[in-house]
Amino acid sequence: MGKPIRDSKNDNRFELLKELLLEDDREKFTALSKDIIDKRKISETVNPLIDLKLENLRENFPTDFGKTITETIKVQIRESQDEVVEALYPIMGKLVKKFIVVEIAKLSESINKTIKEKFSISQILKRFFNGRKNNANLILEEVFEPTIEEVFVIEKDSGLLAGNYSRGNIAEKDMVSGMLTAIKSFAEDAFSKEGQNLEDIKFETFQLSIQNFKTIYIATAISGVINSDFKEVLLDKINNLAEIILRDRTYLSEEKKLSKLIQEILINTDELN
Amino acid sequence: MIAKKVLLVGNFGVGKTSLIRRFVLNQFSEDYISTIGVRVSSKVVLYENKEIKLLIWDVAGTSGDEKIPKAYFLGASAAMFVFDLSREETYLTIDNYLESIRHLSGLKDITIVGNKKDLLTKEELETVIETISVKIDLITSAKEDENVESAFLQLASQAIK
Repeated sequence: MGKPIRDSKNDNRFELLKELLLEDDREKFTALSKDIIDKRKISETVNPLIDLKLENLRENFPTDFGKTITETIKVQIRESQDEVVEALYPIMGKLVKKFIVVEIAKLSESINKTIKEKFSISQILKRFFNGRKNNANLILEEVFEPTIEEVFVIEKDSGLLAGNYSRGNIAEKDMVSGMLTAIKSFAEDAFSKEGQNLEDIKFETFQLSIQNFKTIYIATAISGVINSDFKEVLLDKINNLAEIILRDRTYLSEEKKLSKLIQEILINTDELN
Repeated sequence: MIAKKVLLVGNFGVGKTSLIRRFVLNQFSEDYISTIGVRVSSKVVLYENKEIKLLIWDVAGTSGDEKIPKAYFLGASAAMFVFDLSREETYLTIDNYLESIRHLSGLKDITIVGNKKDLLTKEELETVIETISVKIDLITSAKEDENVESAFLQLASQAIK
């Protein structure tokens, strides 16, 4: 086969035609290339700046936007309380449930221990001879055994603290005795008939009992379940304490001496423990 | 240590609580005074080399009609009557006030203190002193901490008399 013969005239025509037909495309191509080159140049200059800005933003975000975001969240929460409650409800429910389970487990452990002790032969015999109370009462009393938390011996009119005992550390005991006296006076003045005294203040987990004497009053804070036996013994002991103090008034001016006496009579005794 | 109950009495807004706040750091919440009409604070002061524990009963100021339990005044060893030097109504009937405090507390001597000195010019202060029918023991300014300590020391001295 021979070589194809080139027709130069036709070639020129084809080039001419191509030039005529593709002129627009060529312009577009040139513009596009220029655009790409420009963008690359711009991005080379701008990218480091953007990176720097982003880094700054990341670092200073809490200071720059923290307040605004907090405020926005607050507003959002306020405006969508129902939704918030709906979202939190299951979580809180789980927490409460968990707490109750732990507490019930503790209670059940304690009751089991008490039942074990209560149903020992010696205890059954003891109850057989002494038995006045039912088992439930006995068990509950042992689980929530009454404990003397605080004792205050206070001068009646002035509210000055003469002596005290505290299981924990009570801050500002002088102010507490003063305020207790003020509250007592206020309640007696507001609610009581002539000559009546405030005797009990009950809280959810403890009780404040007040025994009034001529010139002093003795306030005891007790936690746990107070049964009548405990109350009876406590009252006896408080009367003894008051008798000793009122017979020897030096106790009222010697806080340490009185505090020691309170410990001896009310705390270091088997009858109340 | 000797412990004494002392009273602070006077009209509403004369600055009793501010004086105590200057003098005593530890104190109960403000709510007590508006709820039961009294708040008790304590402070140990050194007077003539003796430590004295003051149990300060800040009795709520009244406009006259409210009833304050009489028991608040019992057993007090000293009392301070505080009035506002810049408000005439707080000292106009000072004689009646003092008589009433004497009657309720059984105290004879009451320390009289004019507070808020910082709100008056020297001339105005002189006029007030001339107007008041009783002798003012101390002029104080709780805001500028002027004479506050002296007022309580005078109260302590009165308490151990």
